[in-house]
Order: sequence, then C-alpha cells, then structure tokens
Amino acid sequence: MGTVNRRMVLKGAALASLAYTVGGAEVLLSPREAHAQGVPLKVLTADERVALEALGETLLPGARDAGLAHYVDQQLSVDPSESLLLARALGVAPPYANFYRAGLAGLDQSSRRAHGMTFAELAADKRAEFVEQIRQKAPEGWSGPQSPFFYFVSRGDAVDVYYGTVEGFERLGIPYMPHIIPIKRW
Amino acid sequence: MANEKVDVVIVGGGASGILLAAKLGQAGKKAVILEMGPPLALDDLVSSQIWSRRLKWGGVPVVSEGRNPVAHNFQSGWGLGGAAMHQFANWPRFHPEDFRVKTQYGRGLDWPISYADLRPYYDRIQKEVGLSGDHVAEVWRPAGDPYPMPPIRWFRQAELLAEGFRKIGMRTAPMPLAINSVSYNGRPACIYDGWCEAGCPTGALVNPQVTYLPVAKKAGVEIRTGAYVTRVLVNAKGDRASGVEYYDKARERREQHADVVVLSAFSASNPRILLNSANDRHPKGLANSSGLVGHNVTAHITFSAFAMFEENTENHMGTSGAFGMSQDGYVKDSHPGFGSYTWTIGVAMKPNDVLGFANSRPQLFGNALHEFMKRASRGLARIGVQAEELPNPENRVVLSDRKDAYGFPLARVIHGLDENSMRLFDHIRSEGDRIVKATRAKETWTNPSPGLAHFLGGTVMGKSAKDSVADGYGRTHDVANLFITGGGLFPTIAGVHPTFTLHALTLRTADYMAKNWGGIAA
Repeated sequence: MGTVNRRMVLKGAALASLAYTVGGAEVLLSPREAHAQGVPLKVLTADERVALEALGETLLPGARDAGLAHYVDQQLSVDPSESLLLARALGVAPPYANFYRAGLAGLDQSSRRAHGMTFAELAADKRAEFVEQIRQKAPEGWSGPQSPFFYFVSRGDAVDVYYGTVEGFERLGIPYMPHIIPIKRW
Repeated sequence: MANEKVDVVIVGGGASGILLAAKLGQAGKKAVILEMGPPLALDDLVSSQIWSRRLKWGGVPVVSEGRNPVAHNFQSGWGLGGAAMHQFANWPRFHPEDFRVKTQYGRGLDWPISYADLRPYYDRIQKEVGLSGDHVAEVWRPAGDPYPMPPIRWFRQAELLAEGFRKIGMRTAPMPLAINSVSYNGRPACIYDGWCEAGCPTGALVNPQVTYLPVAKKAGVEIRTGAYVTRVLVNAKGDRASGVEYYDKARERREQHADVVVLSAFSASNPRILLNSANDRHPKGLANSSGLVGHNVTAHITFSAFAMFEENTENHMGTSGAFGMSQDGYVKDSHPGFGSYTWTIGVAMKPNDVLGFANSRPQLFGNALHEFMKRASRGLARIGVQAEELPNPENRVVLSDRKDAYGFPLARVIHGLDENSMRLFDHIRSEGDRIVKATRAKETWTNPSPGLAHFLGGTVMGKSAKDSVADGYGRTHDVANLFITGGGLFPTIAGVHPTFTLHALTLRTADYMAKNWGGIAA
C-alpha cells in the first residue's frame, strides 16, 4: 500500500503557486505575489477586477492584497473539472466566469441605481451598507445570481485567500499540520 | 468501437463499485470499472480545504432545483474513489426498525431485507476495513460484533460539548469512525490533524484508495478513467443488458460488452443513465416498468448549533467525523416530527470552506469577521445532526431539457422538505439550543434553517416492480443481468450517515453475485 506520511511534507515551501503568464513566460506565483507584481488578468475585465477587489475588501479587509482577483481569475482560466473555486462545490454551473460576471454586473448596476456610482466608487461605509443589503435581499437593479448567494460565494473566496492558506492559519495562531502541502501547480 | 467482452462491467469507481469489483475479481471474474473522473492517487490528496474541491463533482452539470435543492456537487465525488475520498467517516449502523418503517409505523417504505440479513455484512466490513468505537458505551447500537479498535481520542471541544448533553439528561458515546485509532491491517493510526475532507493520504481513514482498490488491482480488475458512460445497451429482445456505451478521454464512442452490467455511479447519475437508455422495448427508460426510476430521492436533514468558549477548545485537532454521538432521539415517533436522528458532538474545523469557522457566522463581514475568526480559532465548538427524511416520490431525478456534448439530457434533481421534515427540524433546533446553552459557553447560536447532507434513493430496492426498481441485492426487477449498487438503492435513509450501510449492502450483493453467477450471467 502506497501510504503517505509526514515525511512527504516539504517544510518551508511556498504555498499554493498558480500558473501565471508574465512577459510571455509561464511562472508559478502565489495569488498574493501575482497581485503585488501586477500580473495581468486572463479572464476578468479591468472593471470586473475593480468591482471584485472592492467587494472582497469590504467582505474581508486584506483580501485584495492577498490576491483575491488573481486567485479567482486564474481559476476561471482553467478547466472547470480542475477548478478549486468554492463555486464548484456549491453547484454553480460552469463556466464559472458567467457567474462572476453576472454577479459583479449586478453589483455595479444596483449600486448605480441606488447611489449613482459603481460599488467601488462608494465610500467605505456606504459599501458596507450595500453589502449588508445584498446579503439579505437583492437591491433594485440587481440581476444575475441571487444576491445573498453571490455574497456567500464571494465572501468564501475572500476567506479562502486570506485565511485558507499557511499564512492565514498563522494569522490565527493555528498550526497548519499538512500531510501534503499545496505547492503543486494549480 | 467495441472492447473485448468481459464478465462484468461496473459503471462508477466509487466506494461501492470498487468494493464489488474487488470481490468479483477475487472470485475469478473479469471485471472492468468505467470511471468518468481522473485517476486519483494518494499524493493528490493535498492538505487544503481549497484543494479539497478537486474531490467534488467535476462532471457534466447536474441541475438542482426545488424548495430545498440537494447539494449534489458537495456530496458527490470526482475521480477514482468517488465521494468516499472526502467522506468524514462517521459509520454508525442502521437500526432494525430502519428496515421496516412502513410496516412498523405505517409511513415511508420498507426495505426488502432486514437488519438480520445485513448484520453479518456490517460485521465483515468493520473487520476488513477497521472501525474505531465503543460498542458498550453506544447503548443504542443494534446487535453486532464489537469494534475492532478502541474509540479515537477526544479533544477538549468534545468534553465541553458532552457536558451540555449530560446536563439536560442526554446520553453520549464515542462516534464509530472508519478511522484508525491504532494501527490496523498495516495502515497507521490517525494523527488528528483534521484534513479528512481534503482526503486522507496516510491511510488512517477508510477510503477506497487504501482499502478495496489495491485488492481490486491485485485481482486483475481493469480500471478505465475518463470513461463517460451514457447508456446501458440491451439485446434484441430487450430483456438482457449486453453492455454499456461510453465515450473515452479522446471523446471516441466505445462499447463495453459484458455478461453482467452494474451501475455503481452516484445517485443522480444512475437514474440518468437508465432514463437515457430508453428504447422501443423500454420507452420509459430501462428497468423502469415501475415508473419509479429517479423517484424517492432523499437526503439527511442537517443542523448545527455552536458554542463559543472562553477556554481553548483545541478545535483544530481531531477528525472531520465527530468525536461523539447521541441517539437519544432515534425512536422515530417519540418527538414532534417523525423520523430518527443522531447528534454529532464536536469536529475538527478549519478557517475556510463550507463548514469552516467563517461560515458558522455567515452574516459577519468586514472587521467583525476578522475579530470573530480570532475568537473562533480558539474557542468555537459545534454539534450537528443527521436526521431522517422520509421518501417522497415527488423528490426525484428527471431528464433536463439541457443536453451534454453528445446530445444526452442532463440530470435535473427536484427536492423539497415536507411539513413533517420541518417539524422534525424545529424539534431538533430547539433541542440543540438547549444542549449548547447547558454548556459553560458564554455565547451560543443555532442555524436558522435546515441543511441537507448525502444524496440517496432514486433507484430504490423493494419486493417487486410494483414498488421499486431493484430487489434486495440491487438486481433490477426488469433486466435480470443489470444490477445497481450504492446509496441510490436505499428506500429509507435512517437517522445516520450512509457509508457503512452502503459498504455492507454492496458486500452482500457481491456475495450473492459470486455464488449465483451462473444464474445471473446465463
């Protein structure tokens, strides 16, 4: 029997490297590194990125710098059967990009309807008020997936990148204790 | 393109398919497993809740609808080993009355077999794969051999929660787990790091990769991954299965002919294949003279109650399966809402994912969520429930208007909880609230609405084609050499997790097939 034990753990290894294209070459970076290096996104538009990062930062401050947009975007670029997105486990129909596009469009449309500007253009306190609203019920002008479900999935993504990593466990003072640490290509 | 004919073709490389293949292979039968997903291996089981999603459904979409849609993707699996690769390994037995609900209570359905029929197979399975538990402390447990291993270690969370049960007069016991508390049959003891849902690569947790897959391979079973089965093929008369049609990794259409065909795919996929196999002789779908293929889909009603302690609950330590249990609510008609239920006491938790810290308070966001995460990582504790939903023919798998790349309709699952289920949930919620409030926690809360776990039924077993799709061995009433295995056969689902019963039932089928091969394959 080919069992695996703690000896297989590669201590000190970088967490969760995804494949990004930088200068025409494919490199492995964490979402945080990809964000810091300004790696271009593959699937989401510039406006969608702005909306997603603003939403993520409202849901969990620090999610933007943790690479939320780069994580989601990279995962939208792979085959759905390879996806690590929470949306997969929750039964969202692939391609998952449709779900994010529709949700982010709904966010900005309804924000414009209520406040005359996109969600990202709102002041921080107004963003929080708006998120509290979409958490419970779709605001006027919302389209796409049900807003409470979009809140739930987006919040899950933010928690994934911020707390679902070795760094995130360290922030909480919890030992990660892996059998096999996620250094493989995503 | 047709492959060489074999004795038996098994559709689906999950727990039941691999177990059946292993036993039939050992009996000298040439078996082929056709698995739609990839060929997982132990070193694919990366310790991460994010990575765990690669073990969840990744096949053609299953459309889930209704008042309470089943969580198909979360419950099912993707790749060799199937859903059992991410199981939590809670393995209580069904009780004798679970097999005769209609006879004893006038509700639901009866199984065509009794607990006495299945008991020897429970005993054999627990000896073969290893179970940890305490048969004496588990006062509700039906007759059976003692567990081969002592219970797993309890961490502080479990002790603190069990105190709440005791204070309101409820009994507790260790949960029987398919996880090694000590080394067993060459597999190591658990090290309690809580990565079970991401797949256990050490071999401490029973998953097909470390139990029956090696047996199957040694017995010469051939496994083809990336094999997407679309239909069961029949002979000219239409009374016997001749094999299956599938599409391989290169998207080439192939046929695999066999003397015996077994559908061991997930509970949404088996009905889909049968309905898509309709032909002139079987216009409603294969094995569907009852009209019941796809019907009586059931799921366990779930609920969680939380307690935030000021002391360290060590909640990052343990297993995804529960430390403890209580079946004081198991008698089906002893409380508001008919049906059995089992409390689960304490589980290892991670920060993220569906069952992580963050989702115990889904309404929190912003800095309030950060503050909560810090407190939860030290003091959170959780109890949960698996409660019985009665079969309802209206809860069903049907064919969708949407089609796959080959033109076959997708599965569409319609599911809702009835008034009885909601009464049972309300009772459980009230009891759960009392339990956590009886602990020494300073803050407690409960989930406001029911969740659903597991996905069972859809091809239920019974005594005849008047009331069911298959008999007590999973042999379809209409097609003598077509069998079904897995949770789809369950007419009722008891108030416990299904995986132990799924194994016992499959082993019974394997025995039957091996002993009666001539009559089945002829």
